[in-house]
Amino acid sequence: MPVISYRAAFICCGVLALNATAVGQTAKQGSEAPKSQSAPTMQHQRGPKKLALLNADGAVITLWKPDLSKRLLEPKMDMVTIPPTGVDNYHAIIIEQDWGDSVDAIIRYEYLRGKPSGKSPTKLTSAIKTDLEIVPDPLPREHHRYYSGEKAAFLIRYRNQLLKNQPVVLQTGNGSSLKGVTDNDGRVVMTLPDDFKNVVTGERDQRSADLSITTEYLESGKHYNSTLSAEYRVSPVHWQYKSWGLAAAGVGFLFGGFLTSRVSRSKKERSQ
Amino acid sequence: MNPVKNLSVIRKIVQLSAFMLLVYGSSLGTFYLADKISGALPALSCAYDMNGSDLCALIPFQHQMDHRLGPVINEGGGILKGLIPTLITLGTFLLFFVVLNKAFCGWICPLGTFQELLQILGQKLGLQRTESVKHSVVEKTRPVKWAILVLLVFGFPLMTGLGYLNHDLGDPFCRICPSRILTTLANGEADQLVVDTANTTTIVFSIAADFLFGLMIALALTVRQPFCRICPMLALHAVFRKIGLLRLVKEASPRCGKCGLCAKACPMDIQEIHTEMVKKDVTFEDCTLCGRCVEFCPDKDVLKLKYASFPVFKADPQYFKVRKKSQTLWEKKTLRSLFAKKDKPVTEKV
Repeated sequence: MPVISYRAAFICCGVLALNATAVGQTAKQGSEAPKSQSAPTMQHQRGPKKLALLNADGAVITLWKPDLSKRLLEPKMDMVTIPPTGVDNYHAIIIEQDWGDSVDAIIRYEYLRGKPSGKSPTKLTSAIKTDLEIVPDPLPREHHRYYSGEKAAFLIRYRNQLLKNQPVVLQTGNGSSLKGVTDNDGRVVMTLPDDFKNVVTGERDQRSADLSITTEYLESGKHYNSTLSAEYRVSPVHWQYKSWGLAAAGVGFLFGGFLTSRVSRSKKERSQ
Repeated sequence: MNPVKNLSVIRKIVQLSAFMLLVYGSSLGTFYLADKISGALPALSCAYDMNGSDLCALIPFQHQMDHRLGPVINEGGGILKGLIPTLITLGTFLLFFVVLNKAFCGWICPLGTFQELLQILGQKLGLQRTESVKHSVVEKTRPVKWAILVLLVFGFPLMTGLGYLNHDLGDPFCRICPSRILTTLANGEADQLVVDTANTTTIVFSIAADFLFGLMIALALTVRQPFCRICPMLALHAVFRKIGLLRLVKEASPRCGKCGLCAKACPMDIQEIHTEMVKKDVTFEDCTLCGRCVEFCPDKDVLKLKYASFPVFKADPQYFKVRKKSQTLWEKKTLRSLFAKKDKPVTEKV
């Protein structure tokens, strides 16, 4: 069965890992997956999504709906199913593990289909869902995703406070790693690595892979480790050419100019 | 003329405000103001514009044909079941549409506004304007919008959903829509002005879209509203124009047969506004309810914009005189005339 499967985040100490599977999706994971020639249909699937969890004993898994109502999810056989909520929009899945002297958290935003939520995703991203949180600023909008080679911005927040000069590490499923530090506003902008292998110029490539952004924070002797897990895709710049587009528009413009000048010339001739 | 009393000025202000809201809405509110106002707007507002605050009804219609109706029919389900999302979108569209009718084209649509601005630019640059397109050309052009609506908005997407066409034909109108390129460019993103080499379909459609965009710009500098004439949204409006509360009403006078200023003023070159002597409701299929014909009608109360049964703007000889004078002055102000004045010797001014 064709599935999209993406390895997600590893919390730094490696105690908790997440692997998500969206049922009924068509694209394939990672750089070794075959390239599909059909366009993605994943955004239109309404079925349940599944997350595979490793070492998740004792972890608290919470599904946040767009209106901030919450629901606890129970893993079964190292798998947790996100049921359709009937609401369209981003939902947040928060997986927390409190070890006493440290707290690990994984956050993942998933778009579920249903009736319009009437809520802004900003409401969901702004809500404090766990102590230390990496917040997409903003989440990719309709017709958009995280793409390789493009910039993405994130806020690092400890409870109500944005953390300045906070180091973060971005890792991708394709093996790239990047370091960044938040600015005075607690914001870090990172250029996602263009690291998919064997990308053929001029050919559409619908591969996706996971990325994770991780940060650590020490407060009152307690370690907080947080990871944002997301999917990114091969950048379309590999098969879409702006210069050619501009040239085609230029030809259209010239043709329009030719048409209008012809019309005005024939008008002049008629008037004479 | 006092600009506050000039309908065209008022309309420009409304158009620019709507442009700002629809193209930059998230910058004015939150990033997700575009989450969205309706998702079924009766004007070409593009979903590819990441900062936009709404999207036009044509986008969900195409998606629903491709992803809902087609698959439901394929699975042997009831057509009504497959049409439910389309009916919901249509219902939302109609809720808006009843309020302003076809004025969504003339007052709200960002692409319509852009073309009008280009027209002003062309006029100010002193380019020779094509005042009105020949009636035979207008007649030939009219069916195009219906063909685009039937084929590109509903037909091809449905065929795609049924599995007869490849997925890239699931949203063919969006692929050629100039609003997609315009609104993304307006946000500083050129990622829609591209040639997509993924396959033959994408190559053909992306080149067609870019070409059409360039063509529209060139034509709009001298011809009024070139893309509006083939826009499927105009056709969709035409289907429901009888239920809209805002209407163009005519009470023909014997002088109408000789005058024809209304048709000359019409940016869509609807000659029937001038020639129609019987019908009262003259909200024709190409009308965008811009109100220019009413402004330039010299006979009292012959043309009216009516909201339900209440007249909101009526033809008036006094208004016509002042408006015509201000239009003449406005049209005289071109870059060419500005430089011509500068070249004149000082003594001539005295």
